[in-house]
Amino acid sequence: MAHEPAAARSDPLLRCNSLVKWFGDRVAVDDVSFGLARGEIYGLLGPNGAGKTTTIKMVCGLLQPDSGSIMLDGRSTKEDLAARSLVGYVPQDVALYPDLTASENLSFLGRLYRLSGGLLEERIKEALELTDLTERRHDRVDSYSGGMKRRLNIAAGLLHHPKLLVLDEPTVGVDPQSRHAILERVRSFGIGGVSVLYTTHYMEEAERVCDRVGIIDHGRLIAEGTRRELVAHLGERDRIDLAATGDLQRVAAECRAIQGVVEAAVADDSVHLIADDGRHVLPAVLEAANRTGASVNSVEVKEADLEAVFLHLTGTALRE
Amino acid sequence: MSALTILSVGLRRIMRDRTALFFMIVLPIAVILIIGATVRGFSTFRVGVVNEGAGPSGTQLVSAMQRAPDLDVRMYPTATAAATAVARSEISTAVILPANMDSDLRDGKTVAVAVMAEPANSTQQAAAQEVESVVTDVGGRVQAALFTRIHVTGSYQQNLVRATEIQPKVAQVDVQQARVDSHSNTLPEGFSYSAPTMLVLFVFLNALAGGATIIETRRLGMYERMATTPIHTRTIIAGEALTYFCVALVQAVLIVLVAALIFGVSWGSPLAAIALVLAWAMVGGAAGMLSGSLFRTPEQASSIGPAIGIALAMLGGCMWPLSIVSQTMRDIGHATPQAWAVDAWTDLLSRGGTIVSILPQLAVLVTFAVGFLAIATSRMRRLLR
Repeated sequence: MAHEPAAARSDPLLRCNSLVKWFGDRVAVDDVSFGLARGEIYGLLGPNGAGKTTTIKMVCGLLQPDSGSIMLDGRSTKEDLAARSLVGYVPQDVALYPDLTASENLSFLGRLYRLSGGLLEERIKEALELTDLTERRHDRVDSYSGGMKRRLNIAAGLLHHPKLLVLDEPTVGVDPQSRHAILERVRSFGIGGVSVLYTTHYMEEAERVCDRVGIIDHGRLIAEGTRRELVAHLGERDRIDLAATGDLQRVAAECRAIQGVVEAAVADDSVHLIADDGRHVLPAVLEAANRTGASVNSVEVKEADLEAVFLHLTGTALRE
Repeated sequence: MSALTILSVGLRRIMRDRTALFFMIVLPIAVILIIGATVRGFSTFRVGVVNEGAGPSGTQLVSAMQRAPDLDVRMYPTATAAATAVARSEISTAVILPANMDSDLRDGKTVAVAVMAEPANSTQQAAAQEVESVVTDVGGRVQAALFTRIHVTGSYQQNLVRATEIQPKVAQVDVQQARVDSHSNTLPEGFSYSAPTMLVLFVFLNALAGGATIIETRRLGMYERMATTPIHTRTIIAGEALTYFCVALVQAVLIVLVAALIFGVSWGSPLAAIALVLAWAMVGGAAGMLSGSLFRTPEQASSIGPAIGIALAMLGGCMWPLSIVSQTMRDIGHATPQAWAVDAWTDLLSRGGTIVSILPQLAVLVTFAVGFLAIATSRMRRLLR
């Protein structure tokens, strides 16, 4: 899905250089650099606690990096308060007054972005339409369903027409239907020319929505590129998911010994493997599982995807 | 400008919170009403009466005492029983109506009505004085009846009835009490006592409990969201401080108005009262900010906050006058802003104080407010970062 022209890379909307952030003696973000072109959707993919939220909080000006710099449209967010208007931040947890209506919440936040009068009204109307909440605009937020709150949370980040929309795990805890709606919207923002910085720990979301993906683990950006570029790291390798009950760590250990298996890791009652030729090693994998006494519930051979890339790069499966 | 936006949203949220409105308006006024009605009794004296067979004149004296607003009359069978009751402080004084009082009066003899009171006990002396004034009143009528019998016509009994009828029609010399150059250390009684003390208590207590809102806003992630907009952290803090100040001010003004219009409380010099209400709203607002920045959970603020508010109100003289406690407790009490506020109200309501005479208290209150706000601001800056 890379529709990024070469010119955009030379004139990025966002440029993060060597960001470092410490919390006490723990490094949360360790030398992270990346950039976003105008209209590009960039996904920061990694497990919980990898440093995604810390990174985007620095981008939004909520945290100051211990070292490194952030330039947004050629301006420094640290020194230039007005540069914050370029960013629309959508926090992970719904941040709205539950005892106010949707309109009142948006009006409040719009005023903080210095919108007023007819323009404010117009922007509120537009944001509500974009998130399908026009009909419920005069209802208190605490009467909303979880998915509606999430959508309003996003609407609040769009009011002031930011050039960069920052979404922190916008689909966590959302039902599949709302999730689909949110992802469709995110795609449409990208098409509309708004750059989107998107964090998620769901591989399929990153694959579906993002033009480019940065894989982050333990505070370090370990790979970056389009889906195609990242998967190419793996060459012709396949991914095998073995769902089983029993001593899965032992199963993984046995599998690592099989010729052709490159990586093996355990997550969510499954053993995830990367193998040179999935179909060829499958009998040996099943035999290894049998040897440990584990009972296999299902087994699946897939083409390599971002999940496989992550497993390959980190030696661990993405943790839920 | 953005601070005003934060203020308006804060006020709007409070207007929707019925529980908050109850604690802010209904409860203080209810408590003022209850305390105002019960603390009326400071000047009512319990008087014991022993009727040893005084006849109609005695009965007349008893009913005159019963009608007197400041006397609460109780009957005792014997002088000994009444003396014991005085000794036990069950009554402040006792009056003995002697046998043959009626016939002696009829004969023009002097009748001695004994009033028991210890000379050293000021309450008992004051009670005795009240009784004496009633006796004098009735005595006047008796003398008038005797006078007309001797110098004009009719029987003693007829003339007494006539004198009693005439007495209310005769031009009365109206006696009014006014405090001139008073040095009273306590507030006046009734609502003038309960309204200022409960104003001081509730504005502060409500603000401490209201600190929960700041903690909730923080937990909702609203401050974080606000911090991503192009406004300074100091603007967010200013907006919140303004909200807490306005809530405290509205509450204080409502209490002042209700007390003045419904309970007839006179708040003294208007300029001084306005200054004092503003100063107390500053203390309350700053205390609310402090509560919101020091407590960790909304539950802590709304449960521990009021407990602290009540404790400080006790120490600071909102529950009883500090003039009745020891010097040490009075000094400790003045470590609370409440004591300074109550002192200032006492000056305005009891001693006709002016803005000049309460300047020292105003200065102390503003210092408290600035101190609270400084701590709250530094805490909030850290929390919002």
